[in-house]
Amino acid sequence: MDTQPAIAVRGVTKRFRLDDGSEFTALDDISLSLAEGEFVTLLGPSGCGKSTILRLVAALEAPSAGTVLVEGKAPAELSRQHRLGVAFQDHALLPWLDVAANIALPFRVAGQKVDEARVAALIRLVGLAGFEKARPRQLSGGMRQRVAIARALVLKPDVLLLDEPFGALDAVTRRQMNIELQRIWTEQRTTTLLVTHDVGEALFLSDRIVVLSGRPGRVVRVVDVPFARPRDPAIMRSALFHEMSDDLTEALAPPAGAP
Amino acid sequence: MTEARKTFLLGALGILAFLALWEVAGQGRWLGLSWPPLSAVLALLVDENRQPLFARALGATLSSLGTGYLIGGAGGIAAAALAHLATPLRPGLERTNAFIHAIPSVALAPLLILVVGREGTPATLAALNTFFILYVSTASGLAATPPALKDLVQVLGGGRWTRLRRLDLPMALPTIVSGMRLAAPSALIGVIIGEWFGAPRGVGVLVINAMQNFQIPLLWAAVLLAVLVSLSLFGLFGALHRGVVARLR
Repeated sequence: MDTQPAIAVRGVTKRFRLDDGSEFTALDDISLSLAEGEFVTLLGPSGCGKSTILRLVAALEAPSAGTVLVEGKAPAELSRQHRLGVAFQDHALLPWLDVAANIALPFRVAGQKVDEARVAALIRLVGLAGFEKARPRQLSGGMRQRVAIARALVLKPDVLLLDEPFGALDAVTRRQMNIELQRIWTEQRTTTLLVTHDVGEALFLSDRIVVLSGRPGRVVRVVDVPFARPRDPAIMRSALFHEMSDDLTEALAPPAGAP
Repeated sequence: MTEARKTFLLGALGILAFLALWEVAGQGRWLGLSWPPLSAVLALLVDENRQPLFARALGATLSSLGTGYLIGGAGGIAAAALAHLATPLRPGLERTNAFIHAIPSVALAPLLILVVGREGTPATLAALNTFFILYVSTASGLAATPPALKDLVQVLGGGRWTRLRRLDLPMALPTIVSGMRLAAPSALIGVIIGEWFGAPRGVGVLVINAMQNFQIPLLWAAVLLAVLVSLSLFGLFGALHRGVVARLR
């Protein structure tokens, strides 16, 4: 192999010690790798440890066994160099900062001069022009997530980690946000790892879908998504989309009686 | 009428009823000579001949209060921030703090008279009281940052110092200001106790002298003065707290 993967997870097991002293295996021998510029989704039921994989890649947790490498180095390297972008389900905006200042936060944390033009461009990109001076509590849930995504992108990160960024939104807003994320992503093509339990979201956004089983989390299937980019929302009504969607739903929750 | 206005009016009504009762009890000598009517106390407070006396006492008290409050407050906040950054220091600082706070001010005052002198004791006691409250409120405020926000700063590559400055301190500010408000009356208690032990002047000295010379209205006037200082500081910091909460949350 002549190019190293952007993200390489090899044989990773993660165990947590519970309060009563017993151990709980969240992830069992997980391997996956992302090429540069690839959009991969971890799809799984809640509690399958998919967020834990993301936290391992973000260096927020350390594996119990196995290795996680980002650009061939320890994941903490990437965040130390301010080249990691993350959006969580909890938008994690600072309540005392307005939209522009929240998006500019990564510059300040990195000790860099705030690139006002970049901040303004991202505000336009996520469709929040006119809301620069608004505070998080004045925004709707969808708008807060747009701010969080703009903040994740502001430093032009090498790797983008999205942990159910639209998990708390209603179905209509969520769909809208997916269409916008697809548009934004197509402009940037940042290596992205998304965590979701929403099959449609995974299909519409990713190049590849990794299906995980629950307790302990194991990779049960890897699916390549064939739709060409940029993707028109109309593909969500295509027969192939529906077929793949049914297939993935079944892979997520095997029918009763299956082994 | 809004609920807030109703509460305010009922509160004001309660205070008025208490003041009226005070006046009637004083006029009627219900509790003998030691309970003067409110009007007599107020008349003394605004008496022109007494102004220099009150001004001197109040000036000395406020100056001790300001000095002690600023030193103790800055020290408390700085110590809590240090304990927050350097975790191994935390248990030691917390225990020392609790130990010092466990000594009653009244027991500490004679000691301080010997160590820092009569002039310095009121400010020192105010500083100690303020230090404790601001240490506790700052430490608990700094510890209350939601995990998701800590994760965010870590992922963005921020170290402890950046996190303190960009996240933990602004997050803790309402709790710190709330501590400032609680510390103000507590610092005043320290000053007055310090003054009782022989400071050259101050509201506490006025109280002691008035009591020993049986100048009942003067005694009440001095106490009222202390209450007014305490309440205005409490109100002032209350307003600051509301402002900070509106700005930060």
